[in-house]
Amino acid sequence: MATTTGHAPAPSHGQDTHGKKHGLNAELVGMLLFIGSEVMLFASLFTAYFFIRYGVSNEVWPPLKQDGEPFELPVMLTGINTLILVGSSFTLWWGERCLKAGDRKGLIRGLWVTILMGGTFLIIQFNEYAHLGFTPQDRAFSGAFYTLTGFHGAHVAVGLIILSMCLRRAYKNDFTATQHTPLAAGSYYWHFVDIVWVLLFLLVYVI
Amino acid sequence: MSFWWRRAIVSAVVGVLFAFLLVFMLRAIFGLDPLWQGNVVATVAGLFGGLGFLYGIGCFDYWLTWAKGRPVSSEDHSFHGVSNWKQYFRINTDHKVIGIQYMAMTLFFMVCGGIMALLIRTELAAPGQQIVDGQAYNGLLSMHATLMIFVFAVPVFGGIANYVLPIMLGAKDMAFPRLNALSFWFLPVSGFLFLASTFTGMFGAAWTAYPPLASQGTAGQTLFELGVQFAGASSIATAINFLATIITMRAPGMTIWRMPILAWATGVTSVLVVFATPFIAGSQFLTMFDRVMGTHFFVPDQGGDVIMYQHIFWFYSHPAVYIMLLPGFGIISEVIATFARKPLFGYRAMAFSMVAIGVLGFGVWAHHMFVSGMAAWLRVPMMITTIIIAVPTGVKMWSWLATLWRGKIHMKAPMLWAMGFLFTFLIGGLSGVFNGIVPADIQLSDTYFITAHLHYVLYGGSVYTIFAGIYYWFPKATGKMLNERLSQWHFWLTFIGTQITFMPMHWQGLQGMPRRVADYDPRFAMINGIETIGSYMLGIATIIFFYNVVISLRKGDPAPWNPWRGRTLEWMVSSPPPLFNFDVIPQVVGGPYQYGIPDARHAVVFAPEQFGGELTEDTRYPVLVVANDTLTSQGLIDEIRSRNADGLWSFEFLVPVGDDDRAVAERRLATTLAILAGFGIAATGRVADGEVITVAGDEGKSRQPYEILVATLPTASSAWMRQDAVDRIRKRSGIATSHIVVRGDDARALTAASALPLTMIVATDAVGADALAAVVMARFDAQPARFTIICPLDLPQPRWGSESSEIRRQAGERMTATINALVSVGVQVQGEVMDDGPADALPLAIDAFTPTQILVAGVNGEAAALAGAANAAAGETPVEIVNLGAPAGSE
Repeated sequence: MATTTGHAPAPSHGQDTHGKKHGLNAELVGMLLFIGSEVMLFASLFTAYFFIRYGVSNEVWPPLKQDGEPFELPVMLTGINTLILVGSSFTLWWGERCLKAGDRKGLIRGLWVTILMGGTFLIIQFNEYAHLGFTPQDRAFSGAFYTLTGFHGAHVAVGLIILSMCLRRAYKNDFTATQHTPLAAGSYYWHFVDIVWVLLFLLVYVI
Repeated sequence: MSFWWRRAIVSAVVGVLFAFLLVFMLRAIFGLDPLWQGNVVATVAGLFGGLGFLYGIGCFDYWLTWAKGRPVSSEDHSFHGVSNWKQYFRINTDHKVIGIQYMAMTLFFMVCGGIMALLIRTELAAPGQQIVDGQAYNGLLSMHATLMIFVFAVPVFGGIANYVLPIMLGAKDMAFPRLNALSFWFLPVSGFLFLASTFTGMFGAAWTAYPPLASQGTAGQTLFELGVQFAGASSIATAINFLATIITMRAPGMTIWRMPILAWATGVTSVLVVFATPFIAGSQFLTMFDRVMGTHFFVPDQGGDVIMYQHIFWFYSHPAVYIMLLPGFGIISEVIATFARKPLFGYRAMAFSMVAIGVLGFGVWAHHMFVSGMAAWLRVPMMITTIIIAVPTGVKMWSWLATLWRGKIHMKAPMLWAMGFLFTFLIGGLSGVFNGIVPADIQLSDTYFITAHLHYVLYGGSVYTIFAGIYYWFPKATGKMLNERLSQWHFWLTFIGTQITFMPMHWQGLQGMPRRVADYDPRFAMINGIETIGSYMLGIATIIFFYNVVISLRKGDPAPWNPWRGRTLEWMVSSPPPLFNFDVIPQVVGGPYQYGIPDARHAVVFAPEQFGGELTEDTRYPVLVVANDTLTSQGLIDEIRSRNADGLWSFEFLVPVGDDDRAVAERRLATTLAILAGFGIAATGRVADGEVITVAGDEGKSRQPYEILVATLPTASSAWMRQDAVDRIRKRSGIATSHIVVRGDDARALTAASALPLTMIVATDAVGADALAAVVMARFDAQPARFTIICPLDLPQPRWGSESSEIRRQAGERMTATINALVSVGVQVQGEVMDDGPADALPLAIDAFTPTQILVAGVNGEAAALAGAANAAAGETPVEIVNLGAPAGSE
């Protein structure tokens, strides 16, 4: 494999004989472990959030802003946004399925739709920030809210960058039905970002 | 300065300038006042400066090329391996180079942290102010702990594992070599940020950085938070790499139960790193946001919660203790098994106990917070889990002791450190149980008892194990042996220094001296003075260590492939190993710790010529075996068999003879070669006239074998060792030379495990006759064999009577004379006087010895009578009769 450009960023020596032998792909194992570590990062932020919510302050929930009004989150709009993001996971899955069936056009279409949906999610999120009526500096609650959603937004942005690279590679015809490790790794990451958002939506917005 | 460093510095400076511009512009746009905000600028500048440096040094080049859609070659090895020492200073993807880079970098930070420690001890040498004020003292203390933990103790194991783990697993490199390089280069960035805080006002909130103290303070605190992020990123990246390597890159046959314990330790540690480190990242993000963005995570009257920081922080930092200990446990397991020459006791228990420690390690964090004001109901559960975690640790301790039990212990430098570890870590572990018990801890919290505990654990558990690892693998990594005498000095000074420095702190803490304070009650003056002296001993010991490394690198003895006779895969490659470790991936066929089992083998390393082909062992590297008195000894034969099991060597014997009889030496050499041939070991040999050092030294120089083995009797009884033969042969030949010691009785005895044909000689009156000895010698010279002389005595009744005793005694004396005469000329022979007549004794003897041939030797016609009995007992075994003529003692 002298110049297989379709390979992952950091291929391993002797991986061709070994990765296959053990039935595991080092790149995907690495991505799964990285996702595990990302899950723990969000877990630490959720911990902070719940400490503030059920911690020493014993205040009413949702807490009151500086002006005495309670914080309010736009559950309806964010619910629709959640559906958009979750939907993008399915469009990505559909694109991958097309590739595995040998349909490269289908993959490109799937990636485009996914990226556009992810972008829409981010735009709606920013719009929400602009109209929330509170800033990270207001109280501990608002800080935790912006930190959680902000970290998630950053992860969506990283996911979009990864998918855009995959899209470019897809145009260059670097992925085949059997050789598409970077795409698989990127899609793992995208699904993770979506699942975290569902959790975040349930734990922060809904309950 | 090389191109890469110029680029790195330029892009780091560009990154910092960009950060300044960005901060000013954004602050101007949003109308924030003041425009200059030290914390914010430090954060953004540290981030972009660090990333700029990483870009400039070349960490991202390959990925950026890929991301831009340009073609890249995954087999591009242009940054792999080094050809001169300068290349250690640039990016490299070879795990061995990265391992050495890691070690050098982390030891550099250890020295920085150590200097801080010495300054702290100097300040504490007497009550009152000596050299620094309280604020500077806080800075020193925080910096000491931060450097020692984040850029020394945690990553240094990554260095050792980076070097040896892929070789141990039979892999050519780590799973992600470029990610590996990136994880290393995070470290200098992290350490630089910590050290740079000296110029922005040192951070003084200790390495734990609790808010609200950490929310105040100078911009140095921000640099600390950023530095921790870089160090954490380094840890996570390298842990993912280790896990992917362990999961997917093991050589064929390397099942998880054949992995060396170090691989288990690294695996468990990596799981801890991957799942715990994000928590410290989270905690530092939150304090950073409080400081930089004005959030209120830790401001109680805004709904914040300071205890929350401690929970998140310790959810990482308690597992971090195991991150700093478990790899050390792995190293110690390797060292103890190798130097006790015994299979590791309880291999599976060792592996499972590490997994148990890893799992339990996530459930004990709040024992650091018993006095913090956290939820009170959490105390008792955390106390119980803390005490339970002593159980798997105890399993390990006992397994190490059981491995030592009745082993053949060699007290070389690595083993000394392992012993020091067992002692020091035991004390640290026991004081840990005190700290884990709530009522005791409430008393002990924030006293010097804690300082004593943590230093016993981290000095004993991390530093000692790191040095054990360095001494153990230094010959492998550099091809040079360290000076053993200096190594011993280093160990003993460190060991005594550790005890003097930290032992009294237990008492001090119980008496109520608080930790982290620059001044103290004058009644502690004397004890603090003694501790300061102890700490200076540690400093001197460290200087000795570095001196030892430098002189050994310059003119140390060459290291053989396997100086410690270890059995794991890294000892089956050259020292230092070739660029990709193995020409062909080895095949693992057995466990890694089968010490003392002669033909046991861990793995088969393929011959280079057969690259990609069948498993062959045609190419063998010559090993020169120098021996004379010790030829045919069981000890030497076993050693050759065990080395031969590597499948790498061919053996050439060299037998230097001085004044001794050349024929004897030739006879013994022939026997040895015949015995080895019986085990399927191809060996050649020659007898050479001359003095051992000259002959062996010159042979080594001209023949260039891979190693010289010198087998001698114990030093006290060996003429060669009186001339210091091993060291002088090493110097004269320039070849790595090892010493095998054989016991004196072993050297003379019949080789027990041997496939040579056994001839049984049946004789009564002939025993003791010179003619019998002559016959045996002639037959031995015709074909090497073993001989057993049986002397069946037809004793008169009663057999306990004085007449029988006299006959028995005389027969015994004649037998001894014959045996001694034969052994002294190099014949393999043993003898037995039996109490029954030939008719009764011979069936028993033949049954016991199962000879391949029976030789009946008689004088004056008695042969015929013996032959009758022999023929009756022999069954299939051929019987031959020799008539010797004159009776014994009749000359």
